Amino acid sequence: MTLFKKPVSVKGTLLVLLLPAGIGLMALAWLVHGLLLDRMAREFVESRLKDEVAFLEHQIRESGGRIDTLQTGDYFQEVFHHAFAIQSPYRSLVSPESWTPLLMPLLQSGPDGATQVESRGNADSPSSILAYRASFRVGDTPIVVIVSEDLGALKRSQAELHAWTAIVSILLIVLLVGVIWLGITLSMRPVVTLKAALKRLQDGEISRIAVQAPEEFQPLVQQLNQLLDSLDQRLERSRDALANLSHSVKTPIAATRQILEDTSRPLDTALRQEMAARLGDIDKQLEAEMRRSRFAGPQAGKSAYPVKQARDLLWMLGRLYPEKSFELSSELMEERRWPLEEHDLNEVLGNLLDNAGKWSERTVELSLLEEDGRMIMRVEDDGSGVHSESLSSLGVRGLRLDQQTPGHGLGLAIVREITERYGGTLTFDTGARGGLRALVDIPWT
Amino acid sequence: MRLLLVEDDRLLADGLARQLEKAGFSVDTTAIAREAVVLGEQEDYRAVVLDLGLPDGSGLDVLRKWRANQINLPVLILTARGDWQDKVNGLKAGADDYLAKPFQTEELIARLNAIVRRSEGRVHSVVKAGRFELDESRQSLKLADGTEHTLTGTEFRLLRCLMSRPRHVFSKEQLMEQLYNLNDSPSENVIEAYIRRLRKLVGPDTIATRRGQGYLFNDTV
Repeated sequence: MTLFKKPVSVKGTLLVLLLPAGIGLMALAWLVHGLLLDRMAREFVESRLKDEVAFLEHQIRESGGRIDTLQTGDYFQEVFHHAFAIQSPYRSLVSPESWTPLLMPLLQSGPDGATQVESRGNADSPSSILAYRASFRVGDTPIVVIVSEDLGALKRSQAELHAWTAIVSILLIVLLVGVIWLGITLSMRPVVTLKAALKRLQDGEISRIAVQAPEEFQPLVQQLNQLLDSLDQRLERSRDALANLSHSVKTPIAATRQILEDTSRPLDTALRQEMAARLGDIDKQLEAEMRRSRFAGPQAGKSAYPVKQARDLLWMLGRLYPEKSFELSSELMEERRWPLEEHDLNEVLGNLLDNAGKWSERTVELSLLEEDGRMIMRVEDDGSGVHSESLSSLGVRGLRLDQQTPGHGLGLAIVREITERYGGTLTFDTGARGGLRALVDIPWT
Repeated sequence: MRLLLVEDDRLLADGLARQLEKAGFSVDTTAIAREAVVLGEQEDYRAVVLDLGLPDGSGLDVLRKWRANQINLPVLILTARGDWQDKVNGLKAGADDYLAKPFQTEELIARLNAIVRRSEGRVHSVVKAGRFELDESRQSLKLADGTEHTLTGTEFRLLRCLMSRPRHVFSKEQLMEQLYNLNDSPSENVIEAYIRRLRKLVGPDTIATRRGQGYLFNDTV
């Protein structure tokens, strides 16, 4: 069924679902009501007819079987509004007369008890009657008594009642629709306020959604607010980065331009070198800030294949340093994913391996492992290593580039920053072969 | 030494051409990718300096076209993008080295000389065994369906050893020699770890174990 495939609106879906169901159930109730009414009315009529037969029988027995002495005429019809027929061997009595063709065959023969008789009949007699027949003996005289009622009249009043029930049902359905609509509207009210809040958010009237949302929507609102928080943080970070950058870039540009504009000043070697150094500074700052601004940090829905990425990086470095060997040691499967952003993982592995490649003699080894819910990346080289006093200052943020251990500059600082953003640690020590060993340890989030 | 410089920034190209000529190269310059493809195919250069962002296409596509046509001249890529993934992609496309802008001319010349030296005597050699092709110059494994796997140094040496003589049983000691640069006393477990990793690439049945004897490369699988 394609009806519910695309719920255009919750309200629409609920109405589409609840309305036909309500109407269907109401119709079913009405049908059942009709059946029950029919059965009840018939039982009631039957028991009344039976009572009347018993009363007649009693009268006949009182009069000793002489039905002539019965007060006939319209008595029964007037008292009971019913037709009756009595038959003894001497006489037959049918009241009213016009029912004779209907009742006579039943008087002659037929089962005792209630019978429904249908006849095409004429204008005076009804087309459908319910008759109750009883045969008994008074002394030696066999007597048959029939009391009957016009079913047509009964059916007519029944139909009227049923019609009224239908009208009431329809009224109830209208009420039900009203209640459903009201219920839907009321329960959807938080969504409407949420919508309004989002609109105001977009217009800049509010900065966070502070809607008292029902339980079901609480996570949504929270997620939205978190997203807004991280957007704000990102904006702030990129503003800071740009401010830093502009500060450290504009001055060297101004100095260089000054020199170039001054046509009277000869461009000697010292000056050229000075200018080149300034441009070099600009490049370093630009590079540092740009790489920082590319970090993603922990993000929902991002993951990377550590083994695949490590293999590519190791292969690439193996091509760039053909005389050195870059090895991978890992028991992880190729398809294993880590909840790190791909670019961030590349930056961590790439910088560690590149650094190790620069300083190694022949071999760099990368180990990837998982230990008690932690992701561990270990890079070890067989170079001359770093003096133990300097180990702790490697890649420390806040140290200016020229204050860092020469040669281990920006790359390690970037690794440390990314690692910390994932709540992990970067530590250095001296490996088994005397080279530097870097260990990145990130908790699984 | 003839050198092709593909660079679209005129100022940089002029300056670089002058410096390179000073360093002993005879430089042809072009700024157009289409022209670069043709020049690389027709002329006999010893090296190429290739900028990635060209006005009529990517330098990577130029490189891929050359490599697809078996033009194996050494290529150094120049680009302003210093992303690790960019570097990997550049090398996978067939570059020999990679230099991020801005750079110092001395470094460029040193790197150029290095890749020219490396390429000397280099022949495009491929070891084939069964469904697999091992590219020696690129240190990569090509499968029958065309996918290429990058290999680390030791993986490459081990696989080359095994693939050089298919169906020949190599003992662990023989294979151990391929791991010369690992720990001082490599254990046999290391061999097993490498074999396990290679099997993940080539399939478990391709490298068979002969108990007590060693391993063999089964090229019939």
